[in-house]
Amino acid sequence: MPDQAVDRRGFLKTIVAAVTTYLGVRWVKDASASSGPEGSSPHRWAMVIDQQACTGCGYCTLACRAHNDVPPWISWNTVVEAGEYGGETMYLARPCMHCDHPACVEVCMVGASYKRADGIVMMDYDKCIGCRYCEVACPYRARSFNWKAFTGPNPAVPEWGQPEVERRPRGVAEKCSFCYQRIDRGMALGLTPGVDPEATPACVVACPVGARIFGDLNDPDSKVSQMLKSIPSYRLREDLGTEPRVYYLHVRDQEVNA
Amino acid sequence: MKARIKSIRFTRFQTWLFILASLMVAGVIAAFVVFTQGLIVTNLSDLVPWGLWITIDLSSIALSAGAFLLCAAVYLLGLKRFQPVARTATFIGLIGYSMAVLTLLLDIGRPDRFWHALVFWNPHSVLWEVTMCVCLYLTVLAVEAAPIVGQAIWMQQRWPRLARRLESLHRFAPYLAVAGLLLSMLHQSSLGATFGVLKARPIWYRPGLSVLFIISAAAGGISFTTLISMLTARLSNKARVDDHLLERLAQIVGWILVGYLYFRFWDAFSMTYTYQPGRTEGLAVLTSGPLALNFWVGEIVVGALIPTVLLLNTRTRSKPTLRMLALGMVVIGLVAYRWDVTLAGQVVVMSYLPQSTATMYTHYFPSLIEILTGAGVVAYGLMAITLGVRYFNIVEHEEPEHETNIDKAYAAASAD
Repeated sequence: MPDQAVDRRGFLKTIVAAVTTYLGVRWVKDASASSGPEGSSPHRWAMVIDQQACTGCGYCTLACRAHNDVPPWISWNTVVEAGEYGGETMYLARPCMHCDHPACVEVCMVGASYKRADGIVMMDYDKCIGCRYCEVACPYRARSFNWKAFTGPNPAVPEWGQPEVERRPRGVAEKCSFCYQRIDRGMALGLTPGVDPEATPACVVACPVGARIFGDLNDPDSKVSQMLKSIPSYRLREDLGTEPRVYYLHVRDQEVNA
Repeated sequence: MKARIKSIRFTRFQTWLFILASLMVAGVIAAFVVFTQGLIVTNLSDLVPWGLWITIDLSSIALSAGAFLLCAAVYLLGLKRFQPVARTATFIGLIGYSMAVLTLLLDIGRPDRFWHALVFWNPHSVLWEVTMCVCLYLTVLAVEAAPIVGQAIWMQQRWPRLARRLESLHRFAPYLAVAGLLLSMLHQSSLGATFGVLKARPIWYRPGLSVLFIISAAAGGISFTTLISMLTARLSNKARVDDHLLERLAQIVGWILVGYLYFRFWDAFSMTYTYQPGRTEGLAVLTSGPLALNFWVGEIVVGALIPTVLLLNTRTRSKPTLRMLALGMVVIGLVAYRWDVTLAGQVVVMSYLPQSTATMYTHYFPSLIEILTGAGVVAYGLMAITLGVRYFNIVEHEEPEHETNIDKAYAAASAD
């Protein structure tokens, strides 16, 4: 008789253990799934920045600040001087590279940095614990940490646009998202990112000289595909193997001379 | 006469506790400022996001390495005579890891989300692995340290049943030693890999860091445990040590340092062969730049060369003062090493511009708030060790009781 009792207890214990394990695994899986790649995507978003056209005006930075509600002390998209050519100062605008092999995603221990199926490297600001490993790992310094809270009005609003995303809290890392909100909403409305301004990243729309081109690398007829086919391009720190999705066009000699 | 000495000692003890308590209060106030104002009160920046706190994390974990090494020596290699030192090391380990957890809570931007690290997993991240190992190992240490609490006489008098329960956990010691060895080998080295896997930081990006981290942790961890044992035996009548045992450990540290210096030499020397953007500059920051004093004096001469000589030479090693000095130097060297690693990769700012090898330099010195909170955490650690010596007899080499305990543990292990 005692043997039987032990058996029953053991049996119940096994069931409880199995159910607990199952629920635990599901809980973790559900939590992880909230910001993982959502299946496959027919799109591969990319940006082309033409250094020939860029005048270093910085409108892109300001438009970005307004549309993404970025504080004045942070630039998701920064414009730096990049030497001289033919007596003229060259500029280089640097958004997030949206790398195909993003170092930030690889190192993020909670998976707050993740890559969408369409290639956009995203931040889940509700997950980020603010350890700043991503910031240390990014070769492009594309990430900024919210050392303090951003309160009060955004000086870039409304002159440069209206905020389209939630402001980030103090204590998390933030970065350029290729204006995923504009892409996603635009696509839902049947628009084409890179063609229709409402569906295109704010910096691209704001550029007064058309130095930024956005589009789908999977679409051979998109402007980015066409330009990359006809004009030699380069990417930043290609030696690192991060495979950025932001391409730069050099200054073309013949046009400078002309 | 005897009573007078006792009263003087008691006063000294009180003064010591008072100093530590004041530092802790200052630390708590500073921590309050950090939690309310955010990390803006630090001197950390987007260029140097990791600083003093990370150094304290890394150092306190490394200095706790004595726990897993000595437990492995006692319960896996069968070097039973080191059991009383393993006991000290386990307690110090528990305190050291709790210090690291406290500092991390300060360091992360969203301390309210600390639990995310356990719930949301990215197994690809080295820090994920470190977090998992640290949490599991903290649990192991807590179970390993439970018998120490159970053995305290006042515990046995007041709560005899609880004390017996806690003490009985000692029978798991061999299994815990295996778990501790595995977990520590993983995270002690991957703390180095945390830096070592980052392509963006050429001075860090090398496999050697993980090896150097675990070897230096072995030297620093054993040194710290031995040093604390010797110090407390001198300062407190609550601690009794077997000096022979500690001298043997000090000699082992000397040999570990030889291995460390060997790997360290080739690791650094190989970096001097060719120019590599960022790496060469990083090395220059260490050897002739702002970190040079720290590197040559703190890490190499004081941290490794002098103690190696002092600890391997029988004459100097047998002198307790010189031995303690050497062990203290190893501890200083370890902290200097962790600080240098953390900073060397960050003060050199790599350019992402095309055709540019131009590197920028930045610098970092912790803010007062960072220093106060750091000092508070260190004071907490020292306070816990001090109280451990007094109330849990963590430095006690002369009680025959442990011998029987360990035999019981062996018997239990072999019976299973």
